[in-house]
Amino acid sequence: MIYLKDSDKEEVKKLLVLASLAGRVMLKAGAETYRVEDTVIRICQSRKDIQHVDAFVVPTGIFISLEYKGELISYIKRIKTISIDLNKITLVNEFSRNFVSSNMSIDEGINEIKRISKIKTYPILIKSFFGAIASGFSCLLFKGTFFDFVATLLVSFTVTYLLNYISKLKSSFFIDKFIASVFISIMSLLLVKIGIGNNLDKVIIGSIMSLVPGVAITNAIRDTMSGDFLSGLSRGMEAIFTALAIAFGVGIVLFFS
Amino acid sequence: MDIIKQFLFSFMSTVGFAVLFNCPKNSVLYAGAVGSIGWLFYYITYAVTKNNVAAPFIGALTVGILGEILARKNKKPATIYITAGIIPLVPGAGAYYTMLHLIENEFSLAASKGVETFFIAAAISTGIIISSIFSKSIKRVRQKE
Repeated sequence: MIYLKDSDKEEVKKLLVLASLAGRVMLKAGAETYRVEDTVIRICQSRKDIQHVDAFVVPTGIFISLEYKGELISYIKRIKTISIDLNKITLVNEFSRNFVSSNMSIDEGINEIKRISKIKTYPILIKSFFGAIASGFSCLLFKGTFFDFVATLLVSFTVTYLLNYISKLKSSFFIDKFIASVFISIMSLLLVKIGIGNNLDKVIIGSIMSLVPGVAITNAIRDTMSGDFLSGLSRGMEAIFTALAIAFGVGIVLFFS
Repeated sequence: MDIIKQFLFSFMSTVGFAVLFNCPKNSVLYAGAVGSIGWLFYYITYAVTKNNVAAPFIGALTVGILGEILARKNKKPATIYITAGIIPLVPGAGAYYTMLHLIENEFSLAASKGVETFFIAAAISTGIIISSIFSKSIKRVRQKE
């Protein structure tokens, strides 16, 4: 047990801010609910005199409360967008382990978390390239031909690149996915018409693989099965509406073609 | 020959998704290996049983177990191997055909495809959950000793 430096309320409040920041970075990076709850609780319990720590985490917010010398302090943090970033999950995980087992000061901890939250993802060109590879080989797994593979590569490279700029408008995940899937279907149609690509459905399925809410669906069912019903519902809604956005996008283009 | 091709395709696809999900650089290849071995188990199970739900379950179980082992070995959260690893198993095509049938006004076909898609997703989650429960209980037993 590590004693607080000047054990007063300000320090405890800062600790709470630190815990909520760590939780927010993890949750925004798409970590599982139980992992965020664990991390937040572990960070709060690592300092002395803090009792009755509890955290309630749903994909749209974090609620923490704790008792310090007979006084209740609580903190709420609202989360808006979630985009998967495995690197940040790993870093915060390492940080929380370090923080709990060492004598790191709370200010240092807050600076460290802020540094982690600002770490950039891979550059957009590399991301688009690997996005193209991911979709292209998925298309081959669905028994597409070589020409389908080439078409999928072209389509998904452009779409991943485009999606990066669309998501900067911060409209909503629904609109983003809708525009992307409209674009995918138009471009696939054109490429198949030209003769690059033989099967329209294989090209479209391959290209929407990077939009399809596969991770969201499995996470939703996983949360529900482990008893986090509210998170399960919330992630499930996200999954259903993402699938709907893609369906509308592809459907409208196929309808008018 | 076919097996090698499947292995290669799923490896490349998983590596691609791992980079899209911003997996740490030194874990990308591990994630690819996890995903492709999981896919091979899926492929073989499907070839033997022709069962649409059992095959993804076995695949996801493999991905989960390998992910937990690597997580223990490299001291990293298991999610970074599992998230990208299950993507080849995920029923993206099922979701697409469900919606296509809806647009074509084939509601009964859409319903059966949709239910199948849901069950595949449930099978995948069950596989992952079982593997993580196993690893947690092994950890607990070791801590007690």
